Amino acid sequence: MDLYLPIAEVSVNAPLLVALGALVGFISGMFGIGGGFLMAPVLVFMGVPAPVAVASQANHVVASSASSVIAYSRQRAVDWRMGGVMAGGGVVGAFVGVEAFRVLRLLGQADLVVAISYLLFLGVIGGLMLIESLNAVLRRRRGEPPKRVKVRHPMWLYALPLRMRFPRSRLYYSVIPPFVLGVFAGVLSAIMGVGGGFILVPAMIYLLRMRASVVVGTSLFQIIVTTAVTTVLQAGRNQTVDIVLSSLLLFGGVLGAQLGARASARFRPDSLRAVLALIVLLVGLQMGLGLFVPPADPFAFAPGAPR
Amino acid sequence: MMVPLPPPDAPAISAALTETRVEVTSGFHGARIVLYGAVFNPDRRPSDVVVVVRGPERPIRLVRKIRRAGVWLNSRPVVFEGAPGFYMAASSRPLSDIAGFGVLRRSGIGVDHLRIEAPQETRTITSYGVRDVVVSRLGADYLDWRRAVIRLMEKASLYKVDPKGVRYVDRGLFRAEVNLPTEAPIGRYETEVWLFQDGRPVAARFRPLVVEKVGIERQIYDFANLMPWLYGLVCVLIALVTGWAASILFRRS
Repeated sequence: MDLYLPIAEVSVNAPLLVALGALVGFISGMFGIGGGFLMAPVLVFMGVPAPVAVASQANHVVASSASSVIAYSRQRAVDWRMGGVMAGGGVVGAFVGVEAFRVLRLLGQADLVVAISYLLFLGVIGGLMLIESLNAVLRRRRGEPPKRVKVRHPMWLYALPLRMRFPRSRLYYSVIPPFVLGVFAGVLSAIMGVGGGFILVPAMIYLLRMRASVVVGTSLFQIIVTTAVTTVLQAGRNQTVDIVLSSLLLFGGVLGAQLGARASARFRPDSLRAVLALIVLLVGLQMGLGLFVPPADPFAFAPGAPR
Repeated sequence: MMVPLPPPDAPAISAALTETRVEVTSGFHGARIVLYGAVFNPDRRPSDVVVVVRGPERPIRLVRKIRRAGVWLNSRPVVFEGAPGFYMAASSRPLSDIAGFGVLRRSGIGVDHLRIEAPQETRTITSYGVRDVVVSRLGADYLDWRRAVIRLMEKASLYKVDPKGVRYVDRGLFRAEVNLPTEAPIGRYETEVWLFQDGRPVAARFRPLVVEKVGIERQIYDFANLMPWLYGLVCVLIALVTGWAASILFRRS
């Protein structure tokens, strides 16, 4: 059954889109990530214009993250205060990112920046995660005890001004690092159409030294706020949010997310991380390698042609 | 509107579209419109029919891929104006056999004769004492760029030249098909039906064609464009409610 999308102005196969939403939702529920980095490339492959894909699926991330945050908050696994500080940064970042994306589209360089962002962030993070998780899997196979991560509190984190108490995380330090991290995630959200969970989660563990138990819930809360603001900004400034597209995706997405969250209990966390790392790495390489392949036609329509 | 009737002894042409209004609904998957027409040719001279359909004009932004340090990058985008969003020229034999270059150029018949220009790239200079010489910043590559516009539009099935698109179904009665792809722009189209004799246009009829979004598609499109901020808020609200509802639903089961 084909459906005409009123904003994207293309006709897509509706059941296929719902299935895609469910698949990405499943992966997102399973690994505790937004899954936006997977969705945007697949939508573009299906013929949705890139700006519409990025903006509409930011709205899809709002829905899937909302359903997960409610589940995490029941387990008291959301640090609202930390999430709020990061979300404040995320709003600033979203403003910067949406404006930057507009300028890049006018310069015809949006493709390049998106491809490089994917290659750089997904490649590096996927690579690091893969090495780390494979080491953990190997150590488990050999029967060695898991390596203890030393919880050290670096001086720089505590030397900064504007300290705040974060009771849920049992931390007391400056609001500047989480705020800056939020700004960064907001910019990525606008440019790559992702929530930024794949960057936030490791950054919160290794840079902000948060407990692993609250990291996923808190990052999802921050992601909701950032992607919600991104959606409104993209709709208001660029008119690129297709509600029919994002509804189809989120219908499948919320179902998939819940199923994924259940399925994840059956697997070991380090094997899960290895699989996720592989997916992240492959998507990053696939998007980035396009830069090195000679184009079939030396000319192309610039994305975001004026209507 | 009164259309001046030709004197009965002069050649004339008449035509009608099976549909003058194409509705873009949720099931829209392109449209096929048939054009029927008749040729009145009292002196029985050999004549040719050309059917041209032009969509609404929209500026086109084009980039060229350039290789720098092993990486394929986009050049600065070039804006072309005057390009119709849809263009079809159907005829009973190749256009170059029907009329000469000058005639086709003046009537804008055939993709090579569309007035596609990049006004932002051109400037006028005084060269060898001649004033107002138009030069393009694209230089010698200008034709490559212009050809690329047409090639890409043809690839998207938005431009088409069909030298066998006009078929005679009976003496003096012909038909042509207009195939609008899903990507066809919304707006007012103009259908031109030309009658050529001895390489010159002797009669022409113009028929409008409207492609518009209707129903829920129209409402969403208007909402998103007229009240974009409110539209964005509604989208987020729907997403939040869906997420919340899903978590409630799955908690119970």
